[in-house]
Amino acid sequence: MAVSSYPEPEAKTAAKKGAGAALFRWVDERLGIEEILAFARHKTVPEHAHSFWYYWGGVSLFFFLVQVFSGVLLLVYYRPGVEAYESVRQITYDIRFGWLIRSTHSWAANLMVFAIFVHMFSVFFMKAYRRPREFGWWSGLALLGLTMVFGFSGYLLPMDDLAFFATKIGLEIPASMPVVGTLIADIVRGGPDVSEVTIQRFFALHVVVLPLVYVPLLFFHMWLVQRHGNAMPPAEEAKPEAERRTIPFFPDFFSRDMGMWLIALNVLAGLAALYPWQLGPQADPIAPAPLGIHPEWYFMSTFQILKAFGRWFPGEAGEVLGIGLFTLVLLLWAIIPLYDTRTHAGRRARAATWFGYFVLAGLIGTTIWGYWEI
Amino acid sequence: MNYPFWDVPIIGSGGVIAIIAIFHVMISHFAIGGGFYLPMAEAKALREGREDWMRTLRRHSHFFLILTGVFGAVSGVGIWFSIGLANPEATSTLIHNFVFGWAIEWVFFIVELTAAAVYYYTWGRIPDRLHLKIGWVYAFTAWMSLVIINGILTFMLTPGAEWLGVAGTGQESGAFWAAFFNPTYWPSLVLRTLVCISLAGIFALVTAARIDGFAEPKLKTEIVRWSTKWLVPSFVLMPVCFLWYLWTVPESQRQLLNLGIATIGQGTFTQVTRSALVSVMTSATILAVVYFTAWRNARDFNMGWAAAVLLLALGATATTEQSREMLRKPYVIGEHMYSNGVRRSEVEHFNREGYLSGSPWAAAHASESAGDAAPDRGALMFRGQCLACHTTDGYRPMKRLLQGRDRASIMNLLGTLHEYGENSPYRAFMPPLVGKPDEIEALADYLDRVVNAGAHTAKAE
Repeated sequence: MAVSSYPEPEAKTAAKKGAGAALFRWVDERLGIEEILAFARHKTVPEHAHSFWYYWGGVSLFFFLVQVFSGVLLLVYYRPGVEAYESVRQITYDIRFGWLIRSTHSWAANLMVFAIFVHMFSVFFMKAYRRPREFGWWSGLALLGLTMVFGFSGYLLPMDDLAFFATKIGLEIPASMPVVGTLIADIVRGGPDVSEVTIQRFFALHVVVLPLVYVPLLFFHMWLVQRHGNAMPPAEEAKPEAERRTIPFFPDFFSRDMGMWLIALNVLAGLAALYPWQLGPQADPIAPAPLGIHPEWYFMSTFQILKAFGRWFPGEAGEVLGIGLFTLVLLLWAIIPLYDTRTHAGRRARAATWFGYFVLAGLIGTTIWGYWEI
Repeated sequence: MNYPFWDVPIIGSGGVIAIIAIFHVMISHFAIGGGFYLPMAEAKALREGREDWMRTLRRHSHFFLILTGVFGAVSGVGIWFSIGLANPEATSTLIHNFVFGWAIEWVFFIVELTAAAVYYYTWGRIPDRLHLKIGWVYAFTAWMSLVIINGILTFMLTPGAEWLGVAGTGQESGAFWAAFFNPTYWPSLVLRTLVCISLAGIFALVTAARIDGFAEPKLKTEIVRWSTKWLVPSFVLMPVCFLWYLWTVPESQRQLLNLGIATIGQGTFTQVTRSALVSVMTSATILAVVYFTAWRNARDFNMGWAAAVLLLALGATATTEQSREMLRKPYVIGEHMYSNGVRRSEVEHFNREGYLSGSPWAAAHASESAGDAAPDRGALMFRGQCLACHTTDGYRPMKRLLQGRDRASIMNLLGTLHEYGENSPYRAFMPPLVGKPDEIEALADYLDRVVNAGAHTAKAE
């Protein structure tokens, strides 16, 4: 016999005795903890074959929290401007456990981008962008974009040669935009080339401007998730109500979320310990760029598309076509909730799914292609 | 084909061994722990008259038979091939000393494989008590194969004073039992047995995850929780046993760990400490993840979570085995043979008479290559003495490790490795570089070409 949900656990805490329970009652009386727990117990999460993908939003959030914590610790010792390199050298080699904090920050940044990509594609293929979750999709895309800007702005801050030249190359992407590209690149750089002024700008962007935009948007995104709940994949939605399964958010889903966070922490700590983030030689703007210089992996696809179009169509035409294609795909990706609106499977639903496969394959393919050509 | 030097690009020959061995260790330890899990679970099912348990155990024994009997056995043969190619001298030494031990192990192994097959194919066909006895025969023989192989594995770290006293005299077989029951034998046996028990629980969770928790909630909850309990003994006893193990390890090797622990703050700590830290951390994560996902949510424990726990176990196995291997540095057989196959007793001889003419492998390669053009002596030196642990571009690459050094600087480093002074920072984890001065010069030329390709710096006058 199909079971629709588990029996809801009783709120036993209030009836418990002992010092712990007394302390809980004291706090509960003032903050209403029991009300929050009761709400969490009543909130349910769908349980099906694809439930695994529900945890990736939480994993992204976990890495963001790690970023905040490790970023604040780095902020204590980091000095932007002409001393940037020296301060990162001190963090990495002189200050006790500075290497760990820096490695954690750098690895968590990469893992966060990866987790958000996984989260985005799982949302896409589960059709979780459909009514009434359109704003969840758009706010999520905005968060991904901001995360990538976080990554880009943070990458320059050590000012070693790799960061310097990778930033120079990375800024070729906005610079290749028609008409306004050069102006935007000059504003971001603070001049015609990457310099200490660029570090000051990137630093302000990284630790002040972006968090000010990111945090409210993140809360908005999470509020939407809370408001609309977790979307079910179409195959699950097609089932009769009685055959759908759910589990309580608390403690069942929450405890598994904790399990997933622990795995994420383990992966992060393992990478930081086994492959600590290196610091290259100080950037020398007049030296030739090291061989095989390239942007971070999450910009590699865009970089490669621009590079390939520049090769196929020499001159400005290549840049315009490359950036045009990239912008078009991004636009279509963003407006997918307005195209695939029906809850049942149909022509548009199938087209959207194929578009998702195309984007995923294109992203992976061009990234591999980019690394292949280095 | 570079045989007798096995030049594996990017990952190195050690990488090939690692890839095969990590999976083999995990499966073979499951084969032992699972050997106890099956008859114990079957006895419980018979005692309680649980048909549903018996049905699940039959399915688990199918999974068990295929995984251990096919993958475990094939990967074991893979290890033989890879160690023979990667380090023929060390493999030869082990065979010469332990051929009798391996013969005993194979006897147990044949009985083990046979018992596993009989156990699976006789479900419901023979009396329950007899079936259970076959399960116990399997468990005993599987564990006995560990009892034997553990002696050979631990010998490589701590051969013991008695064996070292006769090493190279031709009388080594007289010290067989001393070498077998070497100083780290017992703690290692207990540690590995504990790992076997926890892996039995972890793999049982894979079968348990396949039970439909909504159709059979009681069965699934019971089996998931019973399986998670198999993780408890190892996590309780492991810290104590680990300290016991460390206590038996030679002081010089323990120093590698101590040095690593003392320099964690600076971030310069040794690779063995890094791996050991990740191993401890991942083991603790397994316990916590199993608690959150299996114990607390037994009915919803699905294949995704089982795979996550398996991957964590794979990570723990990989880092633990890597720590054990790194702890042996700079030797492949403690105090006897360096990781590149050069015996301690041969160092003086190679320095006096030359490595390329004295080493049978290098000599064989040199004579094979002596046709059209003279062989690159520097490349032969690199293959003979460095290739066991380094590559040019991939794992521990020369291009990165020697980055920024010109030929004179490379020669200085080689000089330090050749002198092998008491205070040399490389002494703790690298073998001495052996050979006559002209051979070392040839190696410096070769490394200079590798590292500074296109910008070859002139030989210092």
